[in-house]
Amino acid sequence: MSKRWAVLIVALITGLTFSPILRVQTAAPQAAGGEARKWNNIPPRKSAYAGKKSSPAPRRDLSGIWDAAGLDAGIQVNGAFEHPALLPQKGGGAEGGREAGAGAEGGRLDETGIEHPLPYTPVGLAALKANKPSGPGVRQVPAALSNDPLDQCDPIGFPRMELYELRTIELVQTANRVIFLNGWYGNWRIIWTDGRELPKDPELRWNGYSVGKWLDDYTFIVETVGLNARTWLDHAGRPHSEDLRVEERFHRVDHDNMELTVTIDDPKMYTQPWLGVNKFPLHLLPSDFDIPELLCSPLDMAEYNRQISNAVLPSRPKK
Amino acid sequence: MKFLLAFALAASGVIVSVPLFAHHGNASYDSTKTVTVKGTVTDYMWANPHVFLKVDAKDNRGNTLHWIIEAQNPLSQTEVGWTKNTFKPGDEVIVEIIPAKNGQPIGRFGVAGPTAGLATQESRIVINGKQFKP
Repeated sequence: MSKRWAVLIVALITGLTFSPILRVQTAAPQAAGGEARKWNNIPPRKSAYAGKKSSPAPRRDLSGIWDAAGLDAGIQVNGAFEHPALLPQKGGGAEGGREAGAGAEGGRLDETGIEHPLPYTPVGLAALKANKPSGPGVRQVPAALSNDPLDQCDPIGFPRMELYELRTIELVQTANRVIFLNGWYGNWRIIWTDGRELPKDPELRWNGYSVGKWLDDYTFIVETVGLNARTWLDHAGRPHSEDLRVEERFHRVDHDNMELTVTIDDPKMYTQPWLGVNKFPLHLLPSDFDIPELLCSPLDMAEYNRQISNAVLPSRPKK
Repeated sequence: MKFLLAFALAASGVIVSVPLFAHHGNASYDSTKTVTVKGTVTDYMWANPHVFLKVDAKDNRGNTLHWIIEAQNPLSQTEVGWTKNTFKPGDEVIVEIIPAKNGQPIGRFGVAGPTAGLATQESRIVINGKQFKP
């Protein structure tokens, strides 16, 4: 018995010692002099608040700085990546997703273990195949061969801002609207709560037109239409059309925790609505949390593409 | 007991396999090889989409290769303890990378394995004789 315990303890210590998470955790950066960081704050790990009791949720209140996932969840690892839109290329796929080393990505990024494929229409499937993502996944291509609009610093748009690298956001609630501020690529949206209707035939926008209302005291529902179809839904190249309707459901579980569910409804591309994220956890951060900036600079992107993306392209056979 | 042991192993496995999110996949890199680059820093770019480091290093024949080694975006690098001052020109460095498949002196911080090139913090980094610890 004691031998078994020893084995167990050794296994645990080994696992934890070689865990990148713990190594990072013990090496959390500190400002000079050991004082707490006041600028460019790093969100806490889930373990710092998991299981912690929270006071009850305030009524009809979303305001605050909310962190999506925390560092150790792997950003979006439970989000759109759970869905199988990265269809493995079977027999002669030209994009070379398989060849590109998807198996080597490991973990949950390769999407091969997912049970239910997304319900593409033939148009949707063709649009998916035309999108060539550079991000990790079974359909990835080298960045220089990708047509991801983000690789040229096009606007990330909505709902991709929630389905790809959702990190820290701030929600500001006023008498007639909710303002959604996203540090990642500097996005902001207005969600009107003054009772107006969605536009019928709007000029298309990158972030669309949004109205929100309270379903009950702790659940806020946002409907968005009028979305420019030049954006992708996510980093995997899932397509959408101008007919896309998105429903966001922000459910405040208690004071410190909220869940975000995003429903994608686009009959042109998908035969039925599906969940982009399902009860994705958002955690309330202190009000003095300084959200770091991360913007897409076209000049920096071009420099990266010149020095690295283009330079690492495998040489192609000469004709 | 067997269950506990299995659980402990599974739990440690899960923790180990969690990668940082990568903006770009590692399609152009050979994720089965770890290469150690030893040389002198000539430039260090703290920029989106990817932080990158330039290192002049001698190959086996004594020729100088101008390496470019990319990490992840500045936010992800901050999260693993890097700053804009982690490297400076003139630093003597030893870094572990996975190399470009096309044989160019281009690499990505990381080591061969399931998260090759996606988890920068797995690389061994020595700066001016000292192991880098954020």
